[in-house]
Order: sequence, then structure tokens, then C-alpha cells
Amino acid sequence: MKLQIYSNRLSQPCRAVIIFCKLNGIEFEEIDVSLAKGQQFKAEFKAINPMARVPAIVHGSYKLFESHAILIYLACTFPGVPDHWYPADIQQRAKIHSVLDWHHSNLRLGEAGYVLDSRLRPLLGGKLNLEAAAVNEKLLSKSLAKIETFWLRGDGKFLLGNFQPSIADLSLVCEIMQLEIVPEIDRNRILSPHKKVLQWMEDTKNATNPYFDELHSFILELKAVLKADSSVGVTEETKQRSQAVLSKL
Amino acid sequence: MVLKLYVDRLSQPSRAVLIFCKANGIEFDEVLVDVAKGQQRSPEYAEINPMKNVPAIVDGRFKLFESHAILVYLACAFPGVAEHWYPADLSRRAKIDSVLHWHHSNLRAGAAPYVFNARLAPIFGLPLNPRVAARAEKLLSGSLAKIESIWLKGKGRFLVGSSQPSIADLSLVCEIMQLELLDKEDRNRLLGPHKKVQQWIEDTRHATRPYFDEMHNILFKVKEKLARMPAEGATSKTLAGNKKQILSKM
Repeated sequence: MKLQIYSNRLSQPCRAVIIFCKLNGIEFEEIDVSLAKGQQFKAEFKAINPMARVPAIVHGSYKLFESHAILIYLACTFPGVPDHWYPADIQQRAKIHSVLDWHHSNLRLGEAGYVLDSRLRPLLGGKLNLEAAAVNEKLLSKSLAKIETFWLRGDGKFLLGNFQPSIADLSLVCEIMQLEIVPEIDRNRILSPHKKVLQWMEDTKNATNPYFDELHSFILELKAVLKADSSVGVTEETKQRSQAVLSKL
Repeated sequence: MVLKLYVDRLSQPSRAVLIFCKANGIEFDEVLVDVAKGQQRSPEYAEINPMKNVPAIVDGRFKLFESHAILVYLACAFPGVAEHWYPADLSRRAKIDSVLHWHHSNLRAGAAPYVFNARLAPIFGLPLNPRVAARAEKLLSGSLAKIESIWLKGKGRFLVGSSQPSIADLSLVCEIMQLELLDKEDRNRLLGPHKKVQQWIEDTRHATRPYFDEMHNILFKVKEKLARMPAEGATSKTLAGNKKQILSKM
């Protein structure tokens, strides 16, 4: 049965799903949905996912969206996926669920909001909102502190004190990688207080390379384009160049 | 050792967990963490749940928070839970998972701050915030429309076309029930356009009676209490005096 992943690498949850598949030898066809061009709102894509969001998968005739639901489905459906990604033990599994749930209103909300409002929105057709970015930065910082002091407690290198990564590690680290898009001075301000978090990101990267780096490579190019622009919003030229980078995705 | 539920019936996800246990004959001790009194912020409760919100459970030595994680755990851990609550079939289960995950940033993110900032805040000794409420209302309305047109599509009476309720139905309906705290006019404005949603709420209540009504009784008591409080309207004084309200998850 064919697996198709409707995705855009600018999207953190998309990257998590694709890295997971590559790492576990799950064959798939990657179908790019251009967010810069608003393709997610077109009828053709809404037939796949009426919520107009990526990622979404089609497996045979079965459609599914929401990256956490997708990761769980893939972990359970495809043979040969090591147990540590989504343990069969219901208590271990429940703890992973609690991270995945916590993520939405905490790290995801703060991080995605901060990056969009301070840097990315003009590239997707919207406007910057520095006031909202400041609010989101507070939530982002609070969430990183929670990861530092609570979720990374324990003997292992990964979330929940686990010795090996789970889908929760992949999901959350891909989210934090979006900070690579903002200026380095801001990224450092936000991340540098959290030594455990920084180490955990390295460990997750090492556990999932070369695919982790492959999926995040576009960020360097995008960052270079944005860095050349010193305006508070973005210039038309930057928009064009960014779209060129994003359109390749 | 019996399962302990740390809950407040004023909290939508707490009610979902309580109703689920009652409906499935799961024995438990209900431990009240009074959120209006700020008990979730006590150091004792932080030992149970360092995120300082409800619900949380303790099952023997196993602690867990986040209501969806709890509902899934209970459905899997306790024998005799009917299969429809969280089906073993991976495809059906994944659909339920997708609703549960969608919920956080959509219905929950709209409904909870809307009701809090338009009506409930005074119970917590806080002022209303019509600006935050107005923003939340947009997300709430959009989410209800999506439940009406997308999640309730299909042959069955429940979410994702199911003919019987799942933990997703319970979670989302308990969230929407918080709208009972509003004036009839507001509630009708929000829910009136969505006939399928209204029917689905009834169907979910019916499927979990009498526990559904038992756990939602608190809303009527709180509504009466709010009616007796001095009027907290959208005065310019309130708006100017407000610091940015951050709703702590209940």
C-alpha cells in the first residue's frame, strides 16, 4: 500500500514525520504543498485535509492529519519500527502522550507564534506582529524552562528520562529548530539559558542523522536570505528570494 | 490502592475523566483541587502535577497528567472498558487521535478563554477581559463550524462518523458544556447555527447518563453564584486597569 506524505519542510511537524519515516525505512512519496503560495487552501489539497494544514498522509485510501496522530499511526502500522519510538508498555506510552498533549498549548504555541510573528509571516503573506511575538516569546521561554527542569529529568538523555528517543523527542526538537530562522542574537537569548535542552537537541540530532540535518538544511539558505535584510518587516526583494527558497521545498 | 483523580468539576477535562470512569465502572477516589481557590498552585499539589493544573491521576505509584493521556491510559489499563471508547483498530484509533490533537489548538483554545474572559473570571477574583474574549470567540466559532461540517460528517452520530462515542466525543462535549455558564443569548448565538453539534451534545449526554448531568451540575451552581455577584461589565476602567490575562489551564 502506497504512502503519500503531503508536506512542506518549512513546517516543523512535517519534518518530524519525514525524519521518522526515513529513519525507519518507511517508503513514501513526498508531495510538496507550497505554503508560500497558499496551496494548502486550494480545493485539491482540502480534499486530502479539509483543515488545510500540513502534514497529512494518504495510505492506500486512508487519509489522516495531525502530526502526532500520524507518528503514532506510522509507528504502530509499519513493521520493524523499534519499540522506543512508541513503546507498547501503556505507562511509558501514557507519559509520551502527556508530552505530546502538553506540547500544543506550550512549546508549539509559543515557538511557532514567536517565529511567525517576529520573522516569518511576511513570507507567507501576512504581517509581523512584534507585540504578539513578545507574548509568544514569554510562553516559549516558559516552555523551554519546563523541558529543562521537568521533562528532561531522569537518567536518560531524552524526554521523560528515556535512554532512547521517542516520537515526542522528534516532534519537540523539530519545533525548536524553527528558531534557527530568527537572528542568532535572539536565538541565543532564548536558548542559551537551557543547557540540558541544548544537549538534548544534539542527542536527538545524532540519533536521527543524517536525515535530521537533511530536513533542516533549507534553513541555512533561508536564514542567509533573511540576514541580508535589515528591515523590520521584509523588503520585496527578500520576499522574492525567500519564496524562491521555499518554492524549492 | 484505588485510583486517585485530582480534579475540579469546574474544569472541562476533569469532567471528561470523571464521567469516563463512572460510565465504565472504574473505581476511584475523587480528590478536589479547588482551582478558584488556587489549590493547584500549592507545593503539595506540585508533587502530584508540576504543571499545576487539573486533572491528574495517581494509579498506585504511577502519576499522570493531561486529560487525553489519562483517558487513553484508563481505556487501555482497565478491563471492561467498552472498545468503542478507544478502538484497538489502528485506523479508527488514529482518527480519534487526530480529533484529540486538533482539539488543543482549536476548540479548547477558543472555548476556554472565551468563557473565562466573558463570564467566569470573577469566580477566580479576576476581571473580565472583553478583548481577549472577542479574539477567543472567533476561534471558538470557527472550531464549532469545523465540528459541524468536518468532524461530524459520516453515518454515525458521533465524531469521525462513529456510531458509538469515543473519548474524543467526551472530551470535546465537556469543553462545549462550559458554554452553559453564559447567558442564554450568548450561548444561542454561538451554538444556534450548528444543528449537528447540538444533536451530538445530546447524544453524548444520553450515552453517558446519568453521570454526564451529575458531573455538570456544578455549572448551574456556579452560574447562580455569578448572577449574585456585583455586575462585572466591560467598563473602560476594567479595560484600562487590566494587565494581560494569561489563562492558566484548569
